[in-house]
Amino acid sequence: MASKLNTIGLRVGSIVALLLLWWAASKLMNDAEVLPGPLAIASTILKDLHTPGPEGESPYFDIGITLARIFVTFFASMIAGTGIGLAMGLNRLCERSLLALIPLMLTMPTILMVFVAIMWFGYSEAGALVAVMAVVTPLVAVNMYEGTRAMDKSLIDMAVTFKAGRYLLLRNVYIPQLMPYIFSAFRYAFGQTWKIVALAETFGLKFGIGYMFFFWFQQFDITQTLAWIMMFVFLMLVLEHGVFARLESRAFAWRSSSLARGRA
Amino acid sequence: MHGKLPLKKAKRRVLPDFLSAFLPDFLPDSISRMLPGALTLAAGLVVWKAISLFFYPIFFPGPAVLFERMIAIYSDPASYVVVGQTLARIFEGFVLSMLIGTALGLVMGLKRGIEIFFDSWIMVLLTFPAVCWAFLSVLWFGLSETAPIFTIVLIVFPYVAMNIWAGTKAVEKDLLLMGRVYKADRSLMLRKVLIPQLMPYIFSSLRISLSLSWKIALVAEAFGVGSGVGQQLINWFQNTRVDMMLAWGVSFMIIMVLIDLLIFRTWARRTFAWRPEFAT
Amino acid sequence: MAAVEAGLRQPRHRLHRDNNRQAWKMSAYRVHNVQRIDTIPVISGAPMSHGGTGSAITIDNLTKTFPAPGSGKEFVVIQDVSLTVDEGKFVSLVGPSGCGKSTLLNVIAGIESYDSGSVTIHPKAGRTGAEPRIAYVFQSPRLLNWLTVENNIHFVLEAQKVPRQRWRELVAKKLEMVGLAGQERNYPLNLSGGMQQRVAIARALAIEPDILLMDEPFSHLDAITARKMRFDLMEILASAKPTILFVTHDLAEAVFLSDNIYMMSTKPARIFKRVAIDIARPRKPEDETILDLEKTLVRDFFSVVEAND
Repeated sequence: MASKLNTIGLRVGSIVALLLLWWAASKLMNDAEVLPGPLAIASTILKDLHTPGPEGESPYFDIGITLARIFVTFFASMIAGTGIGLAMGLNRLCERSLLALIPLMLTMPTILMVFVAIMWFGYSEAGALVAVMAVVTPLVAVNMYEGTRAMDKSLIDMAVTFKAGRYLLLRNVYIPQLMPYIFSAFRYAFGQTWKIVALAETFGLKFGIGYMFFFWFQQFDITQTLAWIMMFVFLMLVLEHGVFARLESRAFAWRSSSLARGRA
Repeated sequence: MHGKLPLKKAKRRVLPDFLSAFLPDFLPDSISRMLPGALTLAAGLVVWKAISLFFYPIFFPGPAVLFERMIAIYSDPASYVVVGQTLARIFEGFVLSMLIGTALGLVMGLKRGIEIFFDSWIMVLLTFPAVCWAFLSVLWFGLSETAPIFTIVLIVFPYVAMNIWAGTKAVEKDLLLMGRVYKADRSLMLRKVLIPQLMPYIFSSLRISLSLSWKIALVAEAFGVGSGVGQQLINWFQNTRVDMMLAWGVSFMIIMVLIDLLIFRTWARRTFAWRPEFAT
Repeated sequence: MAAVEAGLRQPRHRLHRDNNRQAWKMSAYRVHNVQRIDTIPVISGAPMSHGGTGSAITIDNLTKTFPAPGSGKEFVVIQDVSLTVDEGKFVSLVGPSGCGKSTLLNVIAGIESYDSGSVTIHPKAGRTGAEPRIAYVFQSPRLLNWLTVENNIHFVLEAQKVPRQRWRELVAKKLEMVGLAGQERNYPLNLSGGMQQRVAIARALAIEPDILLMDEPFSHLDAITARKMRFDLMEILASAKPTILFVTHDLAEAVFLSDNIYMMSTKPARIFKRVAIDIARPRKPEDETILDLEKTLVRDFFSVVEAND
């Protein structure tokens, strides 16, 4: 009991310490041009939420469109990646043909993918989609492929000796073993997706959070740049750790708690 | 050698019947295993060439064009300076992130309090997109060498820290107790018991660290410094020359893959000779 | 890595000299109120032995508790255990697997604390002045898999500060003793379970210990290998003659190997009977006298142990 309070206290304390460090550093610099303090940023954020952006759009539109892009590209890549990964795991021919391709795709630097996608598909949503899919799909595919390979064959044999049907096998043997891989793919893919979307928006997609902070970067306005960055980071933190971590710990209730404890 | 078990790979049928019907029987197993992969790559090249015929080479270069451009780049001595600058930044960022990350990971593994405290900081750091740090470091450090290195370090060291920290969690308590029973002193325990158990994690951290560092270096250079391969990329991007962009990008990618293979494969074989899968 | 930190720290209690008896006592790490949660009736009086010359290990009324996770209460792991191990003798502790017996060995080895009572270790005759050398063979070999067999032994030789010139000869001799001559350069993962355990035994013997602690060393091996190992152990010990404290759940094994047996029930660990085995060595496990003795002991043993469940 005491240790649980201790843990929460430490966590809160560390966030507080981080903010204090930031504030102290900004006071030291004493120059709003170099490092604005957390209070300045907070007030800027609040102000920004009421100010229209350079194209006259509402700031909520920027946030919204970024989120929309993230979710659409994320789901598209997850579906494609899972499909490919499972195909590779289940079909020997698929595996042999695609295995060589995957490391190639994984080594390609993100920035190159984004540049090429934008150049070929223009400064449009399609460009962002292609860029994300090109990077994230192989990632998810590899994860799922590893998942199928790591499946415990002895459990499948056991189920078959008990004459378990396809559906029963799928639900109780295949899917639970794949779940950790699905989740880890989820997490990693989501992380990569928003970073690529941010990059793509920076390079000239119209509207979006990335677009905003590139705009302010060009104006050399560090306060605004930091403000938009913080908004973005905060949003992503909430999504990643609030939503995903919750889902994850519920899906893995059957496991020993040490795994869940390690994360959230 | 006595006692070493030879590794036998089970033979599997890798080709479906209809394909193997077309191939001669005497094809060795290793080739038939590589065949589908090789065929895919060959098919990929053909498709690539086919598509490129529909576009201007500067927009969608075919394989031959790309190769040509790469030769052109590397015949120019100035290119080597550019690559050298990028490599230098990568190296510095990589080394710094390994040092800081390992130290932090170890310390987190040692004390539960520190672990919980820094866990949140690492979470936050991992959430920052590379491009954000690139911007911030340019705003803070201007167009100097510090900017890309700062970006690299801040993005990569949390990954290293997490990895090493996981390694400390995986240390076998039984072996530590055994060392204590035989009264091994601290230095002996560290050298012979602790560090060998951390080696796989240090190793994988090195690989991840290097692979991340070079990709981030490109992003950082694209937004700041004014020199290096990343700057070439954004330069050609703004000039809408996909062929040059790809030439620089792909060639640099090949360089980094070669470095990775050269350093890490040979090193792995030596460090992990005690594992049965590496037994010769 | 709190475990790692604990591993790196020096043993939690110090061996200090008890000047009256020229022996080494271990000071208790902490002493506090012991709350008895469970009691088992004792069948025959637990021996109160006196430490004196001739005994290598003397344990008097040893008690140890662990804090129970969750509740604040503590539960007793070792309760009022007293036993003696005479020098050069082979003593077994027989009882069901579970906590208690191993903890007892850990206390003697100096890696666990205890709450009350005393543990006294007398060094071999003629070696007064130096700290007694304790070797431990665990249930699993606990070898350092990344070191060769000989480097594994070098590890403990270095830990025990044995001079380097002696290393080569010690390694060769002990490996030959356990039947692994020539395996110096091999890696543990290339050896079978039985061979790995033999390396562990060679490692233990290499430091020429005063006390050899063995915690169910053959329980993870198959019956055939274990049987062979028991014979080999007897042979090995015929030449060196360390004092041995051997923990096992197998009564037959204990009867075959030991000079004295202490029967224990666990949770908490308590001794309820002491038996001396006076049969001459070398013993045959199928010998009439041994089987008869086993029969009598088995009755006593299981009646207590099963009643306790």
